Amino acid sequence: MEFKVIEIKQGILSANDREAEGLRRELREKKTFLLNLMSSPGSGKTSTLMQTIPHLSPTLRIGVMEADIDSDVDARTVSATGAQVIQLHTGGMCHLDAEMTRQGLNELDLDALDLVILENVGNLVCPAEFDTGSVKNAVVLSVPEGDDKPLKYPLMFTVADVLLVNKIDAAACFDFDLEVFTQRVHTLRPGIPIFPISAKTGEGVEAWCNWLREQVRQWQET
Amino acid sequence: MHELGLVFQMAKVIEESLAGEEDITAIDTVVMEIGEISSVVPHYFEACFPAAADRCPLFAGAKLVIEKIPAVARCRSCGEEFPVVENKGYCPACGSFDKDLLSGREFNIKEVAVR
Repeated sequence: MEFKVIEIKQGILSANDREAEGLRRELREKKTFLLNLMSSPGSGKTSTLMQTIPHLSPTLRIGVMEADIDSDVDARTVSATGAQVIQLHTGGMCHLDAEMTRQGLNELDLDALDLVILENVGNLVCPAEFDTGSVKNAVVLSVPEGDDKPLKYPLMFTVADVLLVNKIDAAACFDFDLEVFTQRVHTLRPGIPIFPISAKTGEGVEAWCNWLREQVRQWQET
Repeated sequence: MHELGLVFQMAKVIEESLAGEEDITAIDTVVMEIGEISSVVPHYFEACFPAAADRCPLFAGAKLVIEKIPAVARCRSCGEEFPVVENKGYCPACGSFDKDLLSGREFNIKEVAVR
């Protein structure tokens, strides 16, 4: 049997990275900002959204894509805010890639949206590897998870553009050292903004929302 | 199922790379380079590999060869090059943890043998 060897010499994620770049170009034309929200399960992505959307909805038109392996619990919750919400099922997959994100965006009316928030699958490992085409990546880390997470999941903190430290109202119950945590994060990703928030009490949410609103403004102006 | 997603990504990159080639009837072997400290578990990747045929029929019956690439770093303090894993990330010459990784995170498709 005659074989022919073809050199490929490409990273395995190169196709996804190209798809993601294409998506970002389209989003720029549409003037829609895509935020990829990632965290481990239970850190409070959905409750953070429930606080964030009412803050921003007076000035920004918001859509939400809820990614889950197989449920619509979060989509039901978030639809109460009045935002356009769609549910994406990853069908057993632990992350979203750029193609799945594109399928979700096709279901939304991007011309009528300034900001789309993608709530990724709860997982600190796999979603970090796959560029979704987002403009910025936000990572939520909650106080009970501990300040050592940047040491254990360095890639997630390396791809983050902003960090939310949620459940800060419970800080007294845990040995979470925000200063040590900040140092660890900044070793991986120098200078990224870190907002301590409580999605329960609303503490710190305004500062985070101001940051996000400014990011959307800059994206739409350039 | 991280590795399954990566198998599908691999199939996509290879399919796109072969798009310009004529008369390919099957992929015989895929050669991957996986770094020692990449986030991929070669064993699971092997287990998921047959699923590539679901995305692209050219992969039916294809074999997988994995070449492992050792993790090597250069110390930022003294310039020593050293294997990362056996030294647990610390420079064996001066003890520093500050280093630039030279190899070990790869996850590349090196080549495919086709017929």
